Amino acid sequence: MIKSAPTDYRFTAPRSLGAVFGRLKNTGPLFWIMPAGLCVLLIFGYSIIDLVQQSFKYQGDWVGFENFNLVLTDPLFQTAIFHNFLLLFTVPILATLSFLCAVLLFETRKGMKFYRSAVFLPYILPIPVVGVVFGQLLQLNGALNSALRAMGFESLALDWLGDPGQALWTMSAIIIWKEVGFGTILILARLISLPLETLEAARIDGAGFFRLHLQVTLPQLRSVILFYIINEAIVMVSWVFNYVYVMTNGQGGPGNATVVSELYIYRSAFQNKAPELAATAALLLLMATLIFIVGFFRIQSKANKGALDE
Amino acid sequence: MKIRGKAFAVGCAAAVLLTSLSFTGASASMSPKKAFPTKPVTLTMWWWGDQEAPGAKLWVDDTVKAYKKKHPNVTIKTVLQTTEGLVPAFAAAAAAKKGPDLQYFWGGIYAQQPGWDGQIAPVSDYIPASELKHYINASTELSYQGKTWTAPWYVNPSFPVLARTDVLSKYNLTVPTTWKDLLNVCDVLSAQGVPALAGGVKDGWFGGWLYSIIGAQSVSSSKDVVAAVTGSQKFTDAKHADWWTRLQETQEHKCWNSDIGSLELYQAQQLWKDGKAAMTVVAGPDAPNFANAVGASKVVVMAMPKWGSGPFAGKMGSTSQTIGITKWSKNKEVAADFLMFSHEKAQLNNWFKRTGSMPADDRFDLASVKDPVKKALFQSALPGGPYLENFIPAQLDTDAVFTNVQLVLNGTKTGKAAAADMQALMERLRKTDRNLVKNFTAWSK
Repeated sequence: MIKSAPTDYRFTAPRSLGAVFGRLKNTGPLFWIMPAGLCVLLIFGYSIIDLVQQSFKYQGDWVGFENFNLVLTDPLFQTAIFHNFLLLFTVPILATLSFLCAVLLFETRKGMKFYRSAVFLPYILPIPVVGVVFGQLLQLNGALNSALRAMGFESLALDWLGDPGQALWTMSAIIIWKEVGFGTILILARLISLPLETLEAARIDGAGFFRLHLQVTLPQLRSVILFYIINEAIVMVSWVFNYVYVMTNGQGGPGNATVVSELYIYRSAFQNKAPELAATAALLLLMATLIFIVGFFRIQSKANKGALDE
Repeated sequence: MKIRGKAFAVGCAAAVLLTSLSFTGASASMSPKKAFPTKPVTLTMWWWGDQEAPGAKLWVDDTVKAYKKKHPNVTIKTVLQTTEGLVPAFAAAAAAKKGPDLQYFWGGIYAQQPGWDGQIAPVSDYIPASELKHYINASTELSYQGKTWTAPWYVNPSFPVLARTDVLSKYNLTVPTTWKDLLNVCDVLSAQGVPALAGGVKDGWFGGWLYSIIGAQSVSSSKDVVAAVTGSQKFTDAKHADWWTRLQETQEHKCWNSDIGSLELYQAQQLWKDGKAAMTVVAGPDAPNFANAVGASKVVVMAMPKWGSGPFAGKMGSTSQTIGITKWSKNKEVAADFLMFSHEKAQLNNWFKRTGSMPADDRFDLASVKDPVKKALFQSALPGGPYLENFIPAQLDTDAVFTNVQLVLNGTKTGKAAAADMQALMERLRKTDRNLVKNFTAWSK
């Protein structure tokens, strides 16, 4: 049986300022963390300070909030943010699918290794490879539609990436296909580490497959699923650039159907040569991502508190 | 007689004075000539072009080798860029002020903007005017307030329509020369399930081509386009907007392959090669290769069928692809010397031999071109019309032209709405790029 860590080894957030200083008295850990901390501070701190400075300037001159006004009123930026928002809808789908796959793999007696590799494989494929392959596969007269037509499903043979009404959802499906492997392995790893006695006891008490995993397994996986949800939410807000860039030749098309905020930043900085607008949009994106990160830590802290109270 | 003699003497003196003054002026605009370095020099060149002028890579290798033979102390490293990466890679290099010594630029705005942004040194500071005057399109697209930003490399007759007579005659059709004819060809062929025109807009570039070859038919000059950029005209004015309606007509008459939205530009041209489409539009330097691939006798190379009444209706545009010298290069004189070397007769002839396309130099002997397709193409490019895409801000091109062409050809946007969108974006760009109006106005003078 694998036991959970004793509570006195667990990290708990200090409740008051006095507690913080109390901890600082013990400088040993601080000393060991300092080199890595300084590296992080120098690399990220400098970048963020420079980003903030740039977003308030135009060619070196101070312009106040003018760049923010220009970016926030830009219809393309609004579209990009809206697309990031729409992509967030894939997160619950990803979490559900990952949980289902993990449970199925957990319950699979034969060939678990093979199935686990098959589910995880898309996650380790490089995004450019995925983009190019799906770009070819999903052409109007590509392999998928040819197969659909051959099977008599002519009406299902859509212009997956060429139709502005379909393109973003097609991209979402590809992202789900690629990202679900990560969630599955993450949840499965936690699932395997759960004490089997609880599951056995539930089974003896007459819990069926669905009841067992929904009412016994799922609550125990809450923290890892939460981590996955937050991680994927950050992916949807600030890590989908590669997919969009490769699958739309850097255009975010058709029209602006797949433009996301990162592509907007990239194009502003490197195509449109407007580094100040790129910095402003990046700062806004950073703030949006921070909301998720802070939200994650708050939820995790509450979860830890709940666990301790129990 | 005496008076005549005096007048002659005064005239001679004036001529000598003027000549010396102009020589002094020319010298003043040129950087003082340095002795050619004898120490080892390494130049890096980032370039593009093999995509539209296959064989260009062989020419680059030959030329670098020949230059090394002439100057053993000079090593030139060349890096072929991708189409999507060309502009962003240079933008990143320019931000770091580190990267190539020689950089490839498309003509017009693509060469002007880096000049305005202080990323390149004018080649006219290092190449004498007597040499530059031979470089085709240097004065029309690349000059700015008396300076020339980049050196034209090869000419891009922009953009020829290639029609396959074998495909057209199969349906009792002839090569369309007017817009009405074109739409009729579209109607007949689409009823047979054959696209009249093959194209791919997924990567966007084809949108810029279409704007240039359809849109040029209703403007009087490139100055009209610049006027719409600076705000004295509008992109919703008939002369700038009507082409969008023509584009919409091609969609309504089912002129294009149905998968135009999911194919890239170069992928779609393959349909024409395979005989699955009657016509296509290709890059000028590549047109002879396309014609030869299917048999030149079956191909008619022509301008976009005529719909407008402007001076460029029924004519092809002309632009030169260019090479510039970066501001941070420590060996600008050597870089300029290499550019001049690439315009020597042996290199001009080798360019034609390797690529079958036209070097951007009027010293290239057109009489040596025997292939009728190439000859006609080259001649059409010499007094060619403006290539419109090169006279608008690059962002307007990608964010308004590329995107709206995709939507109009997809049937999700009307031509009128596309024109309004282009105008709206132009107005916005005047706010975001605070130097845009000033730079374009200075360029147009």
